[in-house]
Amino acid sequence: MGLAGDATDGEVVQAVLGGEVERYAVLVHRYRDRYARYAARMLGSLDAGEDAVQDALVRAFDRLADCREPDKFAGWLFLILRNRCYAERRRQQREGRPLDERDDAVAAADRPDGTFEQTERIRALERSLVHLTPEQREVFVLKHIEGLAYDEIAGRTGATVASLKMRMHRAYDRLRDLMKEHL
Amino acid sequence: MSLGYHPLVKQLLDGELSLAELPPELRAEGAEALRLIDAVDRAPVVLSPALDDRVMALVRRHAASRTRRAWHWLTAPRDVELRLRLRPVVWAGALAVAAGVALLLLARAPGTTPAPAPVARSGARDSVFVRFVLYAPGARHVAVAGTFNQWDLNAAPLARAGTSGVWTTTLALPVGQHQYAFVVDGERWVADPAAPAIDDGFGRRNSMVAVTSRGAHTL
Repeated sequence: MGLAGDATDGEVVQAVLGGEVERYAVLVHRYRDRYARYAARMLGSLDAGEDAVQDALVRAFDRLADCREPDKFAGWLFLILRNRCYAERRRQQREGRPLDERDDAVAAADRPDGTFEQTERIRALERSLVHLTPEQREVFVLKHIEGLAYDEIAGRTGATVASLKMRMHRAYDRLRDLMKEHL
Repeated sequence: MSLGYHPLVKQLLDGELSLAELPPELRAEGAEALRLIDAVDRAPVVLSPALDDRVMALVRRHAASRTRRAWHWLTAPRDVELRLRLRPVVWAGALAVAAGVALLLLARAPGTTPAPAPVARSGARDSVFVRFVLYAPGARHVAVAGTFNQWDLNAAPLARAGTSGVWTTTLALPVGQHQYAFVVDGERWVADPAAPAIDDGFGRRNSMVAVTSRGAHTL
């Protein structure tokens, strides 16, 4: 077994299941930021995204024995986080709370080389993403923010490539409508 | 009214076509669509440095409570309910087997076989219930004394059975042979007319009963 920093996910999972609880910190450190962008975009705010990541990491520990393929911990954690994001969104809808539309809801930093117009467009897109359905928002985030191909997204979410494309194409149309003043 | 992108422009956004591959009339729309995608902020989102500590604090707490729950589960007493699901035909078979076993045990168990008079009932493994009966219509008090109670005149009184003059009692006697006699009104010794008797060497007659594991028998 490797050192804490270079041990595989599978090795760390087995160690934690064997009673070495502190080894879980390796996985926390490894994945805390990887899905932060996805969670923040899905929930419309950095704070909500951070809460979701924290909750997903704790839930993953609680259910670690259910992780059938420890070497694929990352994908398994993503599914827990994804479920958490959808559940949170449903809860917000039940309570009649819209996603956060503030300009700074998700860190949309000014690009040093960007024009004012470009910065406004970035912020407009952030606000517009909030108005997509969760399914449309997810596929947009995974493809255009996380940079995944359709087949990779299908592998992560369980949806077919055809249905993902349909969602995405509807998202394009919706975004065009929402962003018409900025394009 | 919203206007959607042309399907070929959507393919451009998907990365399946380049702008140059679009028909000339769609290139303006394609350029606009690319500005939309260019507005995507791919800057990494960095979470609070304290997140690791918060997660690990919760993890430690959950691990401790899991250990406590496991220990409690192992050590706490609990009611256990056992349920059997059997088909009726199996039930009938099981009941038949149980009845057979019960009969076998009844036949073999000590003291469980009905014995001839003056005995009757089953008792503990090493004793047998023996019923004593005396017809004494004029008596005021009747007791039975014998080797089983050290001839104590007060140890085993009989009870009057209605107004017929019959007195009776049932005693648990240990396995073996016993001699006994009834004591009427505290002074008159009377042998059991229903049982054989022997001379006690002092001019009186003692009745005799043999108690075995299969019951009591008059000798």
